[in-house]
Amino acid sequence: MADSPLGRPVNRVDGRRKVTGTAAYAADQHPDRMVHGHLLVSDVGHGTIRSMDTAAARSAPGVLAVFTPFEPLALAAGAGQNWVPLQDTLVRYHGQVIGIVVADTFEQARDAAALVRTDYDETPPAASFAAGIPTATVPTGGWEPPVVDILADGVTSIDEALAASPVVVSGNYSQPSKHHNAMEPHATVADWRDGGLVVHGGTQAPAGHARSIAAALRLDPAQVRVLSPYVGGGFGNKATTWADAVVTAAAARAVGRPVKTVLTRPQTFTVTGHRSAVAQAIALGADHDGTLIALKHDAWSSLSGSGSVFESAPGTTSRMLYRTANLHVGQKVVTLDVPPSTFMRAPGEESGSFALECAMDELATALRMDPVALRLKNYATVLPGRNVPWSSKHLDECYRVGASRFGWARRRATPSAVAEGDWWVGMGMATAVYPANRFPTSVRVRLLADGTAAVSTASADLGTGMWTVLAQLGADRLGIAMDRVRPELGDSALPANFGAFGSASTAGVAPALRDAAAAAVRSLTEIAVSDERSVLHGADPAGVEYRAGALHAGGRSVTFGALLTATGHPAVEATASGGPGGPPAEYAFHSFGAHFCEVRVNRWTAELRLSRITTVVDAGTIVNPKTARNQIEGGMLFGVGQALFEGAQVEPNGRIANANLADYLIPVNADVPPMDVHFLDHPDTVFNPAGVRGVGEIGTVGVAAAIANAVFNATGRRVRDLPITVEKLL
Amino acid sequence: MTGQADGDGVSRRDLLGRTAVAAAGAASATVVPGAALAAGRPAAGAAAAAGAAGSEATIEVAMTVNRRPERIRVDPRVTLLDALRDRLALTGTKKGCDQGQCGACTVHVDGERVLSCLTLVGTVQHRSVTTVEGLADGDTLHPVQQAFVDCDGLQCGFCTPGQVMSAVALLREGHTRSDGEIREYMSGNLCRCGAYNNIVQAIRSVRPGPRSR
Repeated sequence: MADSPLGRPVNRVDGRRKVTGTAAYAADQHPDRMVHGHLLVSDVGHGTIRSMDTAAARSAPGVLAVFTPFEPLALAAGAGQNWVPLQDTLVRYHGQVIGIVVADTFEQARDAAALVRTDYDETPPAASFAAGIPTATVPTGGWEPPVVDILADGVTSIDEALAASPVVVSGNYSQPSKHHNAMEPHATVADWRDGGLVVHGGTQAPAGHARSIAAALRLDPAQVRVLSPYVGGGFGNKATTWADAVVTAAAARAVGRPVKTVLTRPQTFTVTGHRSAVAQAIALGADHDGTLIALKHDAWSSLSGSGSVFESAPGTTSRMLYRTANLHVGQKVVTLDVPPSTFMRAPGEESGSFALECAMDELATALRMDPVALRLKNYATVLPGRNVPWSSKHLDECYRVGASRFGWARRRATPSAVAEGDWWVGMGMATAVYPANRFPTSVRVRLLADGTAAVSTASADLGTGMWTVLAQLGADRLGIAMDRVRPELGDSALPANFGAFGSASTAGVAPALRDAAAAAVRSLTEIAVSDERSVLHGADPAGVEYRAGALHAGGRSVTFGALLTATGHPAVEATASGGPGGPPAEYAFHSFGAHFCEVRVNRWTAELRLSRITTVVDAGTIVNPKTARNQIEGGMLFGVGQALFEGAQVEPNGRIANANLADYLIPVNADVPPMDVHFLDHPDTVFNPAGVRGVGEIGTVGVAAAIANAVFNATGRRVRDLPITVEKLL
Repeated sequence: MTGQADGDGVSRRDLLGRTAVAAAGAASATVVPGAALAAGRPAAGAAAAAGAAGSEATIEVAMTVNRRPERIRVDPRVTLLDALRDRLALTGTKKGCDQGQCGACTVHVDGERVLSCLTLVGTVQHRSVTTVEGLADGDTLHPVQQAFVDCDGLQCGFCTPGQVMSAVALLREGHTRSDGEIREYMSGNLCRCGAYNNIVQAIRSVRPGPRSR
């Protein structure tokens, strides 16, 4: 029997294709007769398009067509925003799609696009987040109630509880809007054939992408097939279909040729989504021994007038992280004339944890208490307000193991107490939390006569390791070697899958795959006992055991390949589906973690370097520690970017001044310290039989707070406005 | 970068001048011969003489790509990156920004790493280009490629061809004496997934000398 690869650090099965350049991403497709699209985007922040002069573009060499609101494509539904592209002359924000040029070559389309002259009646956009805070509104919709108050008996308001607290800390925290900047710009190759539409497009959700495109083009969903075997990063920004995909598909229909449109890097900033800017106010009240009496956390998040997604900061963090006698969380939104806001890695937790976990550090300082001890003092064993336990929570172990691995005991509580040469050295820590999600997922397991198996679901692998995890899970359940399992994903025609977001893929796939494998084995057994050509013919099905790729009964055995070959079956297959995990009325479901980091701040130049970081993660069973560790490190780097580098600079006219990779800074190799990532690996079998949760996002949560807390410990400067740039430390 | 004039190529300035003419729409039906390019003579006269919409100046570029001789006739605006991807079907090299900011398009020209998105294909006349498709020896991966697989020096894989090409050049350049040096000299290649530590580990595992930091 093949040893199960489950839990082992096996190499990525798609690694070879990716290091040789043979993995074909959306923009690598080049169907016969393909032509190129180039989007036109608005260069004012708000107003109405008066006219568009497309004559020069139309007569430019190689140009096939120019579509604008004046010569629109037929589109019926929006994509990623609440309006339909090219159907009106309204400019809702700077960089909005207002047309597409289609030409024989990329160069012809790009340069012809530059010849289009657009005149606008401009009106001033509401582009300033800060200016909109006084008129912020309570959001409707969203997953979390925007305001939650859980007060002790006899307490009438959170402010009353704060006023009665012996020790109170409070602060205002802020961070700019941020952009995903996956290395692969969004790309669409739309190819109409046989009455249907094939779309090559890097997406986190092939089936959802197909549905959105079908709705926009008034097609039966069955007519659209999305192929997305390789996705060059997503981080939430390829979970949704954006205007480029539907405009390209409609243009391809109109010109009768396959069309490829790849967003330019600046276009990715405005045609697709971004993370809200967030301002937060937090106040903690505690007794002298550190016991929390009151936690008040309010947030204001930017929301695009074009969309419905915003960063829900307190509802995803303070709502559930600590035990406190009195709790208030409140969320408001500032609606702006900016590109669509959307999900970005740990949406809500990323910003919320920055405020909460810095405030906890401030409280620890005020109490002269160790930050870890303060968190353990207020450790929640039941979800506040619902009083249900977690399905599996080992956050206390994360703190203890992390502190030990990192050497937290060497931390000096007094700021600016440690210097090495010209560098102040400081240590900080913070907590990570992210919900355990499971979405409806179907998986097909097919056993083939050649002794191999195929495991299929319409998920995506955007670097998450799903190709490999599928092969590992299949090999584990079927008891065969991984190289005999062929994973299939990235195709909307495969069994239904919500897609790869919410850190939910593995937790959705694992139990469905388990059930599908069992069902396939039952079908196999049925053939084995009923077909006269089977060596197990006539055996009692109840006495047939499947083990290591073979059926066994009464001292005889046959591999599934041999059985299918002998009985003339090319394959046997089964599909199983699963929904949300565990009984939600009885449990809360989250993953947890703890970060410990060290920073160095130059005492003369204030240069800030993250010098090392230890992260301990409690995310259930880890299917592949190699790919999971990589993903956690990537999540942590999003936190490093949040803390030190990232932020859109939105000008008063709504233009994003730094919409490129030289001016919008993301961490580079030289910014990255050694990272010590440790998994507790406690199975969460209440959540699902495989015991897995997810690792896509939790690595990000809390890193910015840990770094800010370390900066305080190094310098005595409490920076509450991200990113922590040099001028804030001088 | 490869934009400077050299012995047998066309200078960047000459080529850009011609490109600007073509891009402005004063297109020429006259084919600019490769020989004129090699001689470094501007073809502005020929380009300006024409002007018929629907036709464009083209240039012919002869180069060696992954040890194979190639000869293509292209619009002079075409970058080496787009020539590789759109004309030679070598899509392993990726376009992440088209502005020289991300490194995903890194290839080797005459053994040196260059950003192919900032390199007009006309400037690699008679030069030797190596892309990620040209590293492996048949089914045997280049040691750097194998190290990236073994050390999981990637996630989504989109920056990986550029990272691998930079890493191969780095080893040749000798900038692998410490982790700090590797990090510094690999910092032109962005990886948003954050596989940086594994990339460093992969390079460390194949560098000559000590395997530890």
